[in-house]
Amino acid sequence: MFQHVADQQGSEVPATGAPGPDRSQADFAVARFRSLSTEIRGCAILGPTGILAASGDLAAWGTAAAGLLEAADAAAGGAASQTHVATEEGEAYAVRLEGLGMVAVTDRFTLASLVLADMRAALRGLSRANPHVVREAA
Amino acid sequence: MPPKPHRLVMDRVAGYADEAAAYLRRRRLTRKPFARVYAEGGEGAMHAPESESGRALFLAAARLIDTAR
Repeated sequence: MFQHVADQQGSEVPATGAPGPDRSQADFAVARFRSLSTEIRGCAILGPTGILAASGDLAAWGTAAAGLLEAADAAAGGAASQTHVATEEGEAYAVRLEGLGMVAVTDRFTLASLVLADMRAALRGLSRANPHVVREAA
Repeated sequence: MPPKPHRLVMDRVAGYADEAAAYLRRRRLTRKPFARVYAEGGEGAMHAPESESGRALFLAAARLIDTAR
């Protein structure tokens, strides 16, 4: 996985001048995250208004991602910043950062700290490209 | 008769490989399903599959994992 230096040059999603994280920026972040490791099965990024990008069907990912984030919030008794659920079939992760959310599915026995760090780096890149909207949403 | 030097190196490498394989086997056997959630403040908590919150987390995670197939 694994992006060793989160803030290195080139790790950020290119800014397009759009007012908020648009689909192309989020698609880029999803593609970049998936390219980090073959152990990543899929992922999705959610913005303040809903799902922005996913590695598969947007509607299916949107529903499943919202379900995990809701379950995590209920378990945390408030907003959950990160979640890791390991099952026999694979591992599910969810991260919230600066008004954005991201979920990912990996093979079993991945290094959770690295996956979560890469997810945060992906969201940080998106929020840096769109500081105004994300800050308002946060 | 002392063993040849290259034989010593091969034995050592084989020993390390055996230890690594045993470590991975133990890790796979001992690692059970779990759910861990961190709140905004940074404090994390484990949620057992038998608990209500754990059940909801495992169900939601299973749906997400199915979506990724």
